[in-house]
Amino acid sequence: MNVIEIKDLVKIYSNNVMEVTAVDNVNLTIEKGEFTAIVGPSGSGKTTLLNMIGGLDQATSGQILVDGVDVSTLNSKQLVDFRLHNIGFVFQSYNLIPVLTASENVSFIMEMQGLDKATIQSRTTEILTEVGLGDRMESRPNQMSGGQQQRVAVARAMASRPKFIIADEPTANLDSKTTEKLLDIMEELNEKENITFLFSTHDQRVVNKARRIIVLEDGKIVKDEKVR
Amino acid sequence: MIWSIAWKNVWRNRKRSLIVITAVLLGTTAGVFTSGLMKGWVEQRLRSAVYTEQGHLKIYNPEFLNNEEINNIIPQSSNIEEYLQNDKRIKAFSHRVKLMSMASTSRGNTALMLQGIDVEKEKQVSDLYKFILPNAGSYFADGGSYPIIISDKTAEQLRIKNYTMKAETFDSLRNAGIPASVSEKLKIIENERFNTENLFKKRLSELLSHKEVKKYGAEILKAAKHYRLNSKVVFTFTDKSDELISQAFKVCGVFKTSNTMFDQMNAYVLQSDLAPIAGLTASEYHETGILLNDGTLLEKVKSDIGNTFPDINVLSWKELAPDAAMTNDYMGMYYYIIMGFILFALAFGIINTMMMSILERTKELGMLMAIGMNKTRVFSMIMLETIFLTLVGAVIGMLLGWLSVVITGHTGLDFSSVGEGFEAMGWAAIVYPEIDASFFFGVTLMVVATGILSSILPARKALKLNPVEAIRIDN
Repeated sequence: MNVIEIKDLVKIYSNNVMEVTAVDNVNLTIEKGEFTAIVGPSGSGKTTLLNMIGGLDQATSGQILVDGVDVSTLNSKQLVDFRLHNIGFVFQSYNLIPVLTASENVSFIMEMQGLDKATIQSRTTEILTEVGLGDRMESRPNQMSGGQQQRVAVARAMASRPKFIIADEPTANLDSKTTEKLLDIMEELNEKENITFLFSTHDQRVVNKARRIIVLEDGKIVKDEKVR
Repeated sequence: MIWSIAWKNVWRNRKRSLIVITAVLLGTTAGVFTSGLMKGWVEQRLRSAVYTEQGHLKIYNPEFLNNEEINNIIPQSSNIEEYLQNDKRIKAFSHRVKLMSMASTSRGNTALMLQGIDVEKEKQVSDLYKFILPNAGSYFADGGSYPIIISDKTAEQLRIKNYTMKAETFDSLRNAGIPASVSEKLKIIENERFNTENLFKKRLSELLSHKEVKKYGAEILKAAKHYRLNSKVVFTFTDKSDELISQAFKVCGVFKTSNTMFDQMNAYVLQSDLAPIAGLTASEYHETGILLNDGTLLEKVKSDIGNTFPDINVLSWKELAPDAAMTNDYMGMYYYIIMGFILFALAFGIINTMMMSILERTKELGMLMAIGMNKTRVFSMIMLETIFLTLVGAVIGMLLGWLSVVITGHTGLDFSSVGEGFEAMGWAAIVYPEIDASFFFGVTLMVVATGILSSILPARKALKLNPVEAIRIDN
């Protein structure tokens, strides 16, 4: 079953002087439960592609279908709601709310979804335990290491049971040991909850874990292979 | 959760928030206290206008208002008397004979409105009897012949008041804790009489240091002030048959209200003394002062009396003391204007703080928008933060303002040093601030409104953020 279908996707950045094609006629299909890494050198269009898939950026042309819904036809209000209910985000620099505890950072998104208190509480406990932070639920971000903070960010992305998770360079700020642990956790969650993960990375350790690798160069897919 | 995040965000940069909160706190305290001070002033003026000077209503012969002639007495007096007695809305009333006269002593003279009153009835309408000064006689209690009550100001004009350092004055200074060294310096003027306060003050400043005058001057003035009670004051006026009459009255008491103009215009004698001299009967008078049970019925009672007796003129205190009435009408609005100005000025500080806060949190706000926080929630969060920031200082400020009003409402604030000017306009020199609970409700609404309005600019800035760009910004 396809979670994401991308058809003839183009993104051109232009100013008065020049035009830059960041994503050039990309066609791509991501199936449910995939653990996919999009790799490529800086400026290859990885982040632009993920931003468009995540509804954060508008395509110049082409179509992005998420569960059959054409993202490019949604207005900004619908896009916000679409992101809230369908996509989980993990950012390079964690981006937690510093004044909230780990559990509050996780439950916050479910409150925005309008879930009831009991569901929020049990899901928060469940997901934080799954990422190995069952004992740090009341810790604030500044009381946790970078790896722990990124695990909270993964828990936050998972908490709302999205259709897929976009992780933009999630390991860029982490050391090897922490990266290994985080990737193990994400892989485990992917298998256990069957949630699709889409990484943008140039970290070889992430590439090694991925089951499908898409290589972008100059906005074009130059390689797309299932490795495991 | 939005409420919780907003509250926590307020304390994110504790020092900066505390500065704004302190500014709001000080502004609100000052606003509440200033409003309390003004309200105290106005209320005192109103109480004085209604309960001391005018009563709620006054009845006149319409001609008397144009020409204060003895013959312009109130018509149908017995019918009016009966009507007033039967109207349950009327608490008390008092008739007054009013004669424009010239008062003279061997040392001075002044023009006065001599008022003949029934003491017991007058006490029910006017609380002037409460304003008899200490050691300055009584309100017609001594029972002498032809007693008169005059004001402190009149006593000064007629030279019945003087400042003298008598032996008992030194005793009272000692009892009041004035140092012996200060009293020693004043021995040189023992038993010397000063006819005016200014002359005495001038002499004091020659004998004492500036510091001593500042510290003990008021107490020395109070102790040295003497009234020559039982002094005779001769009043000259025309009687009913247009003959010039002179009659001596003995000063039995001296009063002082907060309205110098009122004080220096009026003197009171017994109606039973004045009417026969002036050739008036006991039922002939020029003015009837009326006090109502409920002041809000003023206009209704006024029109009822006016409709029943079309030959007379009924005036309310608002017409007789228009300054007080106007101040009363507009003051409620002035309190809010004062608070409005203060909050308007504070709003700039609040906006600045919130703009800084938004700038510092660009990345975080970008993240929140990216993961699905809609514009309404972003706006609500920033608005709540601003309201909290404003309300914390305002609530403490209102509490401190209220406390300061309560404390000074008991102790009073003495503006005597500049009080002459106030009293000349009818405003008290010693003010007892007071404030209504409803004012705090109004201020709270204004504070919340300030919070909401101050949040618009920062919130607009936040809403304009592009999540993709905001996330990339390195805070």
